[in-house]
Amino acid sequence: MAQRVPAIENPADAPHVALELGRLFVLLVVATFLQTAVAANIHILGANPDFVLIFVVAVALLRGAEYGAVFGFVAGGIVSIALFETPGVRSLSMVAVGYLVGRYAETADLSPSVAPIVSVFVATLIAESLALLTQFLFGREVPLVYLVDHWVIPLLVLDSLLAMPLYLVARWWLRGERHVRISET
Amino acid sequence: MARKRALRRRIVVAILVVLSVALLTVYFRESANGPVHRSESSAMRVVSPLQSGAARAIKPFRDGLSWFGNLFSAQSQNRSLRTQVQQLRSQLAQQLVVQQQDTELKSLVKMRDSSVFPKGSRFAQARVIARSTTAWYSTVTIDAGTDQGVRLNDAVVNGQGLVGRVSAVTPEASEVTLIVDQDSYIDAKVVPSGAQGLVAGSVTGDVTLQYVDRSEKVVAGQVVVTSGMRGSIFTANIPIGQVSAVAQQDVELYQSISVTPWVDFHTLDLVMVVL
Repeated sequence: MAQRVPAIENPADAPHVALELGRLFVLLVVATFLQTAVAANIHILGANPDFVLIFVVAVALLRGAEYGAVFGFVAGGIVSIALFETPGVRSLSMVAVGYLVGRYAETADLSPSVAPIVSVFVATLIAESLALLTQFLFGREVPLVYLVDHWVIPLLVLDSLLAMPLYLVARWWLRGERHVRISET
Repeated sequence: MARKRALRRRIVVAILVVLSVALLTVYFRESANGPVHRSESSAMRVVSPLQSGAARAIKPFRDGLSWFGNLFSAQSQNRSLRTQVQQLRSQLAQQLVVQQQDTELKSLVKMRDSSVFPKGSRFAQARVIARSTTAWYSTVTIDAGTDQGVRLNDAVVNGQGLVGRVSAVTPEASEVTLIVDQDSYIDAKVVPSGAQGLVAGSVTGDVTLQYVDRSEKVVAGQVVVTSGMRGSIFTANIPIGQVSAVAQQDVELYQSISVTPWVDFHTLDLVMVVL
């Protein structure tokens, strides 16, 4: 992947900060709208797609760990409140996903044709593992084999299939890759 | 510079994690009128019209897609007929939607006018506008709330039987916990045997009738309805489903009874809230 520069580190970039945040805000609105209003109506392979997760991964890949984590926290929070889920759980897993994928983007040599799919696949695994763990801690029933078979595997397939098109939309909207590999950190 | 950036990044993530945990803690500790619960209500004001619109817009596509899928194997028509077939498909999908809604409405009216509900019972008709998108919760959001008289724990039914209960309510929309949710427990009885127990949901979507004494005679095919016992939030005799299997083990105090709900939760659309 080409050399990238940190999202907004250069003072000369300051005038672009508002525009950048505006674009991220629009992406946030789109992601939360898709998750709260559209995802429930798409039931393929036994699962509903996780649009928010895919957009968090896209932002983390394109803008790094900090942006990924903050985007994940806000998007996860809005979605869980809008869908009457327990607030905080989705935020927590999206923060983890945004941060880890962002760090991966900052420190690893990425192949643009594979990175979004691999990242979404791993991110879905992380998010579902965290969800499983938190539900277990809440004392809810966790039939592991059933969930993996009927929910996690279909979700992994579905999210991975949607990863590339949604990543390309996010990349186009955020005007490409602006950050660099920051391996020294 | 790099160290400063790394430090800042770690601080940001730490703050976000703490905020998430704090949100979670506040949600569980605060009352139903607390700020986080109130924010759900505010969010629903914004989101429910969007959900309602999206559900309506996508429904014909969903119905069309499933219809197309069913007929996929029959697609051996020649090229000149395909355009005509596509037009007919689109028209038929629309008609099927109308027909399905007509059937649903008729069954709702039948349920409303049945002897199950006491005379003078009031109902609020609602449409399902969103569904839970995780494996953990079997809930739906309906487009009726306190503005329509809906209150917490009101029973929700459709033409087939009991759908669930209202578990959260806002002025314009409500969350309904379905009877297949693992947090759902309903006082129920088997008719005609009269055996009483608790109908419970699960993550897998299986529904069981629990705590039925081994001495009770229950057989597959018998009907399960709400018992309406004192203190129950449901009136008596709302149909739930049918006993599909009964198992007795010598070491168990109670029978293991599987119930097949009559409500098809995958196609749930029009419902009624019993006010």
